[in-house]
Amino acid sequence: MKHPMLKYLRETGLCGDRFPTIFCPGCGIGQVLNYTLIAVDHIIHKDGISRDRFVFASGVGCSARLTSHYLNFDAIWSLHGRAPAVVTGALLAQPELKAIVFTGDGDAAAIGGNHFIHVCRRNLDMTLICMNNGLYGMTGGQSAPTTPRGTSSTTSPYGNVENAFDLCELAITAGASYVARWTTAHPKQCIQAIEKGIRKKGLAFIEIMTQCPIHWKEDPAKMMKKFLSQAMRLVKGKGKKPPKRDQFWVGEFIDRDQPEWLETYQKIIDRFR
Amino acid sequence: MRIPSVVSGPTSMKRYEIRIAGFGGQGVVTVGKILGFAAVLYDKKNAVQTQSYGPESRGGACKAEVVISDGEIHYPKVRSADVLVVLSQTAQDVYLKDLKPGGLLIIDPLTVVNDPLRLDIRVVKVPTAEIALKVGNKKFQNMVALGALCQLTGIVSQNALEKSIAEAVPLKTISRNIEAFQKGIEYVRK
Amino acid sequence: MSVNDHTAFEPLLTEEESRKVIHGPLPPGDYYLFGSDACVEGAVFAGCRYYAGYPITPASEIMEKAAERLPQVGGRFIQMEDEISSACSLIGASWAGAKAMTATSGPGFSLMMEAISFALMSETPFVIVNVQRPGPGQGYITSSQEDVMQARWGHHGGGSLIALAPASVQEMFDFTIEAFNYAEQWRVPVILLADELVAHMREKLTVRPKEGVKIVNRARPQDLGIPFEKFLPYEGMVPPMPAWGDGYRVNVVGLVHHPDGNITKYTPEMHLACVNRIYRKIEDHLDEIAKVEGFFLKGCRHLVVAYGTTTRSAFEAVNELRVKGRSDVGFLRLKTVWPFPENKIRSMVGPLENIFFPEMNLGYMIHPLKEALRDRVKNFIPIPCLGQLHAPEQIIEKVEEVIGKGI
Repeated sequence: MKHPMLKYLRETGLCGDRFPTIFCPGCGIGQVLNYTLIAVDHIIHKDGISRDRFVFASGVGCSARLTSHYLNFDAIWSLHGRAPAVVTGALLAQPELKAIVFTGDGDAAAIGGNHFIHVCRRNLDMTLICMNNGLYGMTGGQSAPTTPRGTSSTTSPYGNVENAFDLCELAITAGASYVARWTTAHPKQCIQAIEKGIRKKGLAFIEIMTQCPIHWKEDPAKMMKKFLSQAMRLVKGKGKKPPKRDQFWVGEFIDRDQPEWLETYQKIIDRFR
Repeated sequence: MRIPSVVSGPTSMKRYEIRIAGFGGQGVVTVGKILGFAAVLYDKKNAVQTQSYGPESRGGACKAEVVISDGEIHYPKVRSADVLVVLSQTAQDVYLKDLKPGGLLIIDPLTVVNDPLRLDIRVVKVPTAEIALKVGNKKFQNMVALGALCQLTGIVSQNALEKSIAEAVPLKTISRNIEAFQKGIEYVRK
Repeated sequence: MSVNDHTAFEPLLTEEESRKVIHGPLPPGDYYLFGSDACVEGAVFAGCRYYAGYPITPASEIMEKAAERLPQVGGRFIQMEDEISSACSLIGASWAGAKAMTATSGPGFSLMMEAISFALMSETPFVIVNVQRPGPGQGYITSSQEDVMQARWGHHGGGSLIALAPASVQEMFDFTIEAFNYAEQWRVPVILLADELVAHMREKLTVRPKEGVKIVNRARPQDLGIPFEKFLPYEGMVPPMPAWGDGYRVNVVGLVHHPDGNITKYTPEMHLACVNRIYRKIEDHLDEIAKVEGFFLKGCRHLVVAYGTTTRSAFEAVNELRVKGRSDVGFLRLKTVWPFPENKIRSMVGPLENIFFPEMNLGYMIHPLKEALRDRVKNFIPIPCLGQLHAPEQIIEKVEEVIGKGI
């Protein structure tokens, strides 16, 4: 029996062997890909949107490898942190495209930080899916802007002296229209959030806490179980931190209707017709 | 595919070189712009206009240069000016030496208080700031200077310049700019 | 209270402004334009419908003109957060099917090298205008030709690209069209090496009727009757380029790859073949791509060489020298600076005593010239001038110092 999402992946031989994939055993990125493709599949069938309107973009890192050659869609595996900028150009050239950016925490918040906050500020119609594993996976486990304070990593062997970003807070403050956080242990919620984000007119930012069992040196199933206990549903009022130190809020943090960049600029173009 | 070239002709045609200098904010570059525009689009000549500034936005040195020719213009800047218009003392101090022997120097005596220390040139004093104030604002002094230049050199026709002024300045200020320009012409005619 | 007013957005346009709107490229005729404006008009004429940029002296005027003109012709303009994202967005715009451009100066050009490198490997066409100013560092804000080597070698890794050097407002228009044509034909980023002088100069521009101007658009597989199943592996030197949304499901990557796009089966042979093709794509077509013009070459014993705005001083100097009696001085001009047309120059230039090369830098392009002509020219004399255009006198003096005055 074939996995229903395989139709969206390239066959072996055309662009590269699909198996073995580059991902480590137990890596959460494969799950995020699955959730994303299911969401996209829903939209293709429920909304009648052509598959050829989708374009996937990524920067560099483990999460970015999703667009390296696996996808049977238009895609680009671009530059570290720059995918939102690349997609900005694509959308302005062809506003009908449905753009999904796969990014990681280092890609989005370190080198890509500037581009991340500006696409949120501009409220451009794209969906950013950030696989947050709390470090730089591809390059060996260095600390990232999301690595918790005090944690040990290859570049913080004596403990991380820095504070971590809350990427969702960053996206909200910068101006995103739809912001949500879930984990790989929340498949239904992830799929729903991604679907909602793609449908949302404006910038959708979905952060998915993703296990990196190799660099955290932990069993992947244990990590996912831990996610379930760390993830506190945000029921009312942000501002209050979750009760325990290593806990984090999950849920839909914001879903607002605001003018989107392309639709606003269109008024200028229409003025000149 | 043939890329058209800037250097396809001989340099034998006469070049007429104009330099206008003063402070930033005196409208020096606008004069250069209008001269070039008029020469090219109305008088059907070739013209190149360049400018340079000191670092300050207002009050620093500013100069515009226009080279006009019936033929092709290669070197786009002034080598030895036929006309020098100076609206500030510093401008005269710095650029007087580049005016060719027999060249024309137009100065505003309000700001250029020292006499030019050359005997081999023609000097015409035009109180551009004073005349501009009569039109309503000192900022029209550049148009007065332009009028004087037009009348004294004839390098670009009055008609061409008036049409160009109308295209270059904001709608509401066209009539006063042209008035200042014409006053400049009248002043040197006397 | 919020800084964002979310009430309906109304485009700001005065009566006066709306009368000046041109809904397409400039109609044929004579104009008197700012160099920067001519560059944008050339881009619009060539079909450019995407511009992204970041403010920098002396290139900001190009961006401002693009902001004004692009929506008038149905295109889109965006001011990005830095030069890095400006250049990266050109990649996306190009793959979404648009002709795309940005303009910057030295410090921003350095930031764009990453995107240029990616474009070389992924064969993404776009145009970058570098309105050169002196460096290094912030340098100064006047004219320069100091980035001429950087244009070719500033990006990491191999490959080859095309760079043009305009010397007049007319050429800011024409060469921009040519830059887009090269980009589309060869699927390569093209650099327009302008400088502060030509960008801030006003001069006559003659726009010819569109029918008389060659505009090149990239070859797409659908135009060549190549269906999705047969699109890969690609054949030939310049693969056809579909756009996202055309149904070809093209995966764009910056890694070395097989002609079928496979990036996983690395072999040294694949690596060499991939990078070699991207390099040879340009270097094997020097005759078609390179544009060099010579004057007074027959019987000349000394040569003055120039590119970009120094052409104007150098040609003035050569003409004056000839009028003074030195009929043995010729002139050579590089319109395309890269790829360097070694063979073409060798076919035009015989044995010489001296080559004089005025550059607005400390002598950069004199090196490939030396490499090309060392066996038949005795002396190569650079004539540097930093921060401004050489006065013809500077060039004349140097030539006369070396070869004497008159015959």
